[in-house]
Order: sequence, then structure tokens, then C-alpha cells
Amino acid sequence: MISAATTPRDTAAQPLDDAVRSAVATVPDPEYPDVSIVDLGLLESVRLETQVGGEVVAHVGLIPTFGGCPALAMIAADVRRAVESAEGIDRCDVDWLAGPVWSPDRMTRGARRTLADDYTVVLRHKDGGLRCPVCGSDDVDDLSMVGPTRCRSVAWCTSCRNAVEVMRN
Amino acid sequence: MKTLAAPPAGGRTWSDLDEFQSFIDAGGMVEPDDEMPGEYRSEVFRFIEFHANSELMGGLTERDWIPHAPGLRLKQIFLAKTQDEIGHAHLLYMVGADMGIKTRTEMLEDLFDGRSRFHNVFHYQAVTWADQVAIAFLVDAAAFASQRAVFAECTYGPYKRVLKRIVAEEGFHMRHGEEMLLRIATGTPTQHEMFQAALDRWWWPAVQLFGPDSPPGDVDPLIRWKIKSERNEVLRHAYVQKYVPLLHGYGFEIPDAELRRDDDGQWQIGEIDWAPLKATMRNGGPDSARRIRTAADNWADTSWVREALA
Repeated sequence: MISAATTPRDTAAQPLDDAVRSAVATVPDPEYPDVSIVDLGLLESVRLETQVGGEVVAHVGLIPTFGGCPALAMIAADVRRAVESAEGIDRCDVDWLAGPVWSPDRMTRGARRTLADDYTVVLRHKDGGLRCPVCGSDDVDDLSMVGPTRCRSVAWCTSCRNAVEVMRN
Repeated sequence: MKTLAAPPAGGRTWSDLDEFQSFIDAGGMVEPDDEMPGEYRSEVFRFIEFHANSELMGGLTERDWIPHAPGLRLKQIFLAKTQDEIGHAHLLYMVGADMGIKTRTEMLEDLFDGRSRFHNVFHYQAVTWADQVAIAFLVDAAAFASQRAVFAECTYGPYKRVLKRIVAEEGFHMRHGEEMLLRIATGTPTQHEMFQAALDRWWWPAVQLFGPDSPPGDVDPLIRWKIKSERNEVLRHAYVQKYVPLLHGYGFEIPDAELRRDDDGQWQIGEIDWAPLKATMRNGGPDSARRIRTAADNWADTSWVREALA
């Protein structure tokens, strides 16, 4: 995918690089319509390339939360649309990268908070424990390794009696 | 948006029904430990059970089409949708069972014995792949509109929290439905004919999914208790306004000879024959018996898993 003539990224390209990142940040996750894919930790790299005719191509490298996620094609299409509408960008190529592997650590604090407060979805503590995002209790029992999506498992808070979902590592 | 945070531990109590109603009217959210009028508890439970059954029956249908889906990408979509629906059913059965009216096993056994209800659209047979496109594009959209209207109010906290995720995921399914429709609508003349035939089968069930007009005022307990935010006829009308022009735009015909545009530019559909909907609610639809039997066989065939896990 490397064209004949490329210019290495330099400081002059920095504003454009930022513009691409901002454009990617406007794309929400299809399953969390108010959380950006950047805040979920999907954006890994941005590379700009100016081709022979002067066409500026943005190569956006994303990593999936889970392989086989059914949202990948949709996310890639949304990213392409968003980045190609940014000023100074003629074309955008999206690559799903094989590595690094996504983990919940890549999520921002804000994304974690939104998932917990609005979606009742939490991350597991380092010691394996779970805290209920509704009532704050630690009495949360794992019920099923398999939830409605590949990236979540199902638990139940015995204190406030709510169904909690857990992002899988 | 109402906060989804729970109240302090220990349930709230009410001196009378009026106080409970005022709490609901003021935007209050009911939690499992709160005192609930019997009618509120049973109406919420009935609604959740119906929703859970519908997710399960829908998921089983989609599962049947995974091998028939044309191409890997569509198989992947159908695999994911099946997991979604079964997962939603799981969450809803948990929340429903917690209300103390029926256990999850009782709900499932009632469903498999034909004593429960589920959405009318799962009482019909999908004949060709185009039917799956019609279901994904039309029926999922109708279900999405009605779920979103429940989520908008929904005074029962645990159900509202689960609905938040379900609605987001169903919105995602709708985009898949649009993608599937676009493919078939811009395909060969045969594909176009196949979809028209499917549309002829699914248009009326989709329109009927919203149910008959809601009774006037707040006679409907679902509206009085703010479990539903919108009346059936309002949701149906909005749906018709959106989908008639979309389908016309792709060159399809709506199977309704009385369909017309009124002076205000609103699409008005012909009179709805409610007999088919009523039949499905008695599990007497065209494909009800086979669907229920398949689901029951599936439950029986997997008993060894439950025994092994017990």
C-alpha cells in the first residue's frame, strides 16, 4: 500500500495529523452511541502521505476490541467518511492492525465513567473483583462468560439487583 | 436524561396509591426494593416477560439463517445478531425473574408450552433470504421504535438500565438492515422481485407490531405507570411516514391499495385487519406451532448442559 513517492511526516504536517485525530474522535462506537472510538482506545496510529499528484492520504490504524467483531466494517466506513471530510485530506485508508492487542486499559477515564454510569458496563479490578456501577456494592456475581456481545460478560449485583455487564479482557 | 443511579439501600414505601402515582408522575424511578402496587409489579413483569420471549424467539430464528446467509460478512452479522438477541433475552429474564412472579425456568417452560406471548412477527415463516432482509430492515426498525419509546420513560430502574444497552444494539442492527436492503434493492431484477414478495409478506405484520390504538387517556396501565412513553398509534404513524417514502424510493410497492397521502402530506394507510395479530397472540399464527416446537426441542436438547453446570 506504499505509493511510489511519499513524504515523511514533519512538523508542518502536525496540524493535519491533529485534524485527522479529531475527525476520528467524532466517530462513536456503534454499540455506545455517545462514546468515541478514540476514547475506547481503538485508534493506534495516523500516518499522512502526500502522493505524486499532491493527493493527501491519511492512513488510520485501528485495533479492534475483539477479533470477529461485527462492527468493524461499519466503524471503518464511519472513520473514512469522517476523515475524508476533514480539510486538507483527500482520501483515508483504514487498516485494522493485528497488534497491539486491545485491552480495557486503553479506555479513557471518561469512557469508563460513561460506560459505568449510562450503560451499567464495568471493567474488572486488577484483583478480579467487580464493583456495581449502580449502587457501588462489591456483591457482584459473575453469571455468564457470554453476554450479548463478544466483548462483554454478564454479572448480577445481589445488593441492588441489577444486571451488570463486564468488559472482557 | 433521568439518572440511572440507584437510591440509597432500603426500599421506599408509599402511604397510598396516589403517592406512588405522584412519584411516577414526577419522574421517579422504581427500584426492586421499593414497595410496588400489585398492578404495577404485574404489568412491568408481563411487559419484560413478553420482551424477553420475543428476543429469544427472534434470536432462534436468526440462528436458523446463519448457514443460509449469502457470504461470510452476512454470516458474521447473523452470528452477532443471534448472540445479541439471546444475550438480551438472558438479561431480561434475569430482571423479570427478580420481580418474584415467575422464575426464569417457569417463564421458559410457559413459553415452550405455548402459554406465553411473544411478538407477532415471530409467528410467521421467513420463506427466502429476502424475508430476512425485510425482517432486518422493516421489522427490526419497528421493534426498535417501540423499544426506544419504552426506554424514553420506563419507570422501572433495572429494566431501563438493560434497555439502554438493548436500544443501542438494536440501532446497530438497523444499520445492518439498511446495508442488507441497499444490496438487494440495487441488485438484479430477480433480487428486486424477491424483496417485493417479502415486503408483501412482512409489511402488515410490521405495521401491526405496534398493536391496536392505545385506549384513550391513561386507561392503559402501561401509559399510566409510565412504562411506555408513547401511544401505539403515534408510533405506528411515525413509522409509516418514514418507511413508505424509503421503500418507494427504492422502487418497491407497499401492499396496501388504500395507502394515500392526505392534504397535510401525511401518509395514511388502509384499515388494519387485526385478526392476524389476535391469532398470533393466541399462538395461532401461521408458523407459531413450528416455532414454539423448535424452541421447546432446543430447550430439551440442551438439558444436559444445565445438568452438567448444576
